[in-house]
Amino acid sequence: MEKIRLKVQIACVALLNLGLFQWQTVCFPVLNCHSCPIAIFSCPVGIIGQFIGLGLIPLSVIGIVAIAGLTVGRFLCGWVCPFGFFQDLLYKVPYIKFDIPRWTRLIKYGVFVGLVVAVPFFLTPGFPAYFCRLCPVATIESAVPWALINGTTDILSLTLRLGILFAIVVASMGHRRFFCKVICPLGAILAPLNRFAMIFPERNDKCTNCGVCNKVCPMETKQGESKFGVYDGAPEECISCLDCRDKCPTEAIKIWG
Amino acid sequence: MIRKVLVTVLLALSLVMTIYGGFFRKFLVYDNLEKFDKLKNVGITIKVPGYENSSQSFTPESQWFSEPEMVRAMTFEGVKRYKDGKLISNYPDLRMLKGRIPCPT
Repeated sequence: MEKIRLKVQIACVALLNLGLFQWQTVCFPVLNCHSCPIAIFSCPVGIIGQFIGLGLIPLSVIGIVAIAGLTVGRFLCGWVCPFGFFQDLLYKVPYIKFDIPRWTRLIKYGVFVGLVVAVPFFLTPGFPAYFCRLCPVATIESAVPWALINGTTDILSLTLRLGILFAIVVASMGHRRFFCKVICPLGAILAPLNRFAMIFPERNDKCTNCGVCNKVCPMETKQGESKFGVYDGAPEECISCLDCRDKCPTEAIKIWG
Repeated sequence: MIRKVLVTVLLALSLVMTIYGGFFRKFLVYDNLEKFDKLKNVGITIKVPGYENSSQSFTPESQWFSEPEMVRAMTFEGVKRYKDGKLISNYPDLRMLKGRIPCPT
C-alpha cells in the first residue's frame, strides 16, 4: 500500500501542477499555491483569506472543502497533498528524530483563525503576517520561481519566507508530517470534518489490541479501546495513509468505514 | 444514527453553498475608482455613477462577476474595496480581471 500511495502522490503532484491549463475559478482542497506558474487550481486557504479581506465569505470554496472533508476527510492530506508528499520524502532523510507535545496540534487552529481569518479581516491581506505571505508552500511554488523568473526587489520578505521554509524543512526531517500536525490551516478546516468522513480505516473483530498501529501511525492518532475506527483516540488527525493496515499482524484493519 | 443525520445535513448544506456560490452568486465590481479620483485631482472631470454627473470624457464601468470569476480574480489580488465599500478593480482597468494569468503574491 505504501508503494501505491507513493505513486498516487507523485501522480497528484504532477496532475495539480501540469500547467497544461489553468482552471483557477475552482479550488482544489489541498495546499497547492495558485500563484505557482504551473498550478491548475486555486488554493482554498489563499482564497478564503482574500475573500475575508474583502469582508466576504467564499461560499463555493467553503462548500467544496466541506464536501471533501465530509466524504474523504484528511485522506486528501495523506494521498493527494503535494506538501504532504514533500514532508514524507523529508522524513526519509537521515536526521535526528524527535517527538513534539500533543498540544502543539492545537496551534494549527490558531494559525487558521489568526493568520488566515483575523489578519486579512482586521488588517489587510497585504499585511506581512497574512498566512500566504509566510506559507512555505507558496515560497516553494511561487515566491522562489517568480523571483527567479522576474527577479525580486523585496529581499527582506523573501529572506523571511526562506527562513520559515528552512525551519519547517528541518522540523519535517525530524518529525513526521510536522507541518500537517502543527501548522497547516487547511488541516485545521478538514480535521473537525474528519470525524464524519465516509472513508476511514476501521478495525474488525480480529483486532488483538497489540498496538502496532499506534506505533506506525505518522499522525500519532493513539487508538483507544473502541473498535469503531482505528483512530478513535484522535479521529481528526488520521490521514488514511493505511500504514496501520500494512503493518497490522492480524489484518484487522479495512479502509472503508 | 445521530452521526449519519449530522453528516447528511452538513453535506446538504455544503452542496447548497457550492451550487449557490458556484452558479448563482454575483458581485458587482467597478472600475478602479481611485484612478478616477487621481484624474480628478489633476483637473480632469470624470463621470462616476453616483459621484459625478458632469463629464463625458471618462466613464468608469462596472461588471457582474460570478463567484468563480471572483475566485480567479482573487488569485492575483485583483479586487479590493473602495472607501465607500464598493468592490473595485485593483488594476487600472476592470477588463484586466477576466482572463488574466495570476501574478505572484
